[in-house]
Amino acid sequence: MAANMKAVKLRIKSVQSTMQITKAMELVASSKLRKAKERAETCRPYFKELHQTLKDIAAGNTDFTSVYVKEAASDKTCYVVVAGDRGLAGGYNANLFKCLEADSAGKDFLVLPIGKKAVEYAHRKGYECLTEEFAEVAEISVADCYEMANLLCEEFRKGTFGHIDLCYTTFVSMLSQQPGVISALPIVDLKEDSQEEKAVRNLILYEPDAAEVFDAIVPEYLGGLIYGSVCESLASELAARRMAMEAATSNAEEMIGKLNLYYNRARQASITQEITEIVAGAEGI
Amino acid sequence: MRTFPLRIGTPDGLLYEGEVERVICRTMTGDLAVLAGHCNFCTALGMGEAAVVLEDGTRKKAACIGGMLSMMDGVCRLLATTWEWEEDIDVARAKAAQKRAEEKLSASGLSEKEYRMVEAKLHRALVRIGVKG
Repeated sequence: MAANMKAVKLRIKSVQSTMQITKAMELVASSKLRKAKERAETCRPYFKELHQTLKDIAAGNTDFTSVYVKEAASDKTCYVVVAGDRGLAGGYNANLFKCLEADSAGKDFLVLPIGKKAVEYAHRKGYECLTEEFAEVAEISVADCYEMANLLCEEFRKGTFGHIDLCYTTFVSMLSQQPGVISALPIVDLKEDSQEEKAVRNLILYEPDAAEVFDAIVPEYLGGLIYGSVCESLASELAARRMAMEAATSNAEEMIGKLNLYYNRARQASITQEITEIVAGAEGI
Repeated sequence: MRTFPLRIGTPDGLLYEGEVERVICRTMTGDLAVLAGHCNFCTALGMGEAAVVLEDGTRKKAACIGGMLSMMDGVCRLLATTWEWEEDIDVARAKAAQKRAEEKLSASGLSEKEYRMVEAKLHRALVRIGVKG
């Protein structure tokens, strides 16, 4: 019995120290989350406007002189995958990768991983990577995003791939984050199916001309889009981690409660046993 | 005068949303003003001074750097990389940036990429100083 009690005591201690860690991680995540959420929220209108504007253009466009607009020559897709730097964030990374796998099934593709987990994942799966320069998602600035966009545009123009898709997690609320894939390039990919049948098209005037306008706009558009998705993903990651750690902490609490009960019971049993032994011994004398 | 809805967005948030009379900004080919009733239009922005004439006729100046301007079905969207209203510009910082950039440009040994970056920095600083001055 005594040995059992000792084991339970040790177990309680170990669970307690785990709880301390999860609690600390929860606090760190929630304090970081506030900032990340603010950043995601200030960036969101820009992100939405940007995407909407390009969608409107895609719906009304009749000019296919620019390489960024016309139907892609290559079927290869480049996925920009924005995942986290660290694990212990519940299903955050796994859900994103599942979403990516579902979308990329049967396609010829390569990835541009952002975030350490995304890089690791690409390595493990043996996916072709465009660059691994952007491994730290937490430290990505607007300038990095534009750099990435320029790189992507360059490769796109060269014809290394014909589509660019963005795979990231949308921050819906503190409790819910939605992984998803959106098309970024070429512009015709943005066209929604329902709009295709529209007989009347809005003609758009480009100045000086469509090719030049798109050449100037697209890198910025892509940079803005990547920045937006990085902000969203970062906030999602922290929210997911906070949730996971909160659950872990409450699980640990529950476990400690149970173990304490068990420990007390064992203690009581051993005392009872001792008394019985003493009484039996006294009677024997 | 007739007005039209304008939205100015940057990665730092939606900076303006509302009815305006006129938008003036520098595009890649030169200055341009958009009035209400403009046909569907899309262009890329350059670096330069921009101005918005509000409903009540007041004119607000700003420094606008890069991005795009689109007019779709009467709604104007101005998506800039940076957009700073005149009152938000920090001249001291811009002047310091200008000085730094000029020093760097006069020193030799810059790679082509660095050169372009410093040049862009100088350009941005000059735009900011120009708007404020």
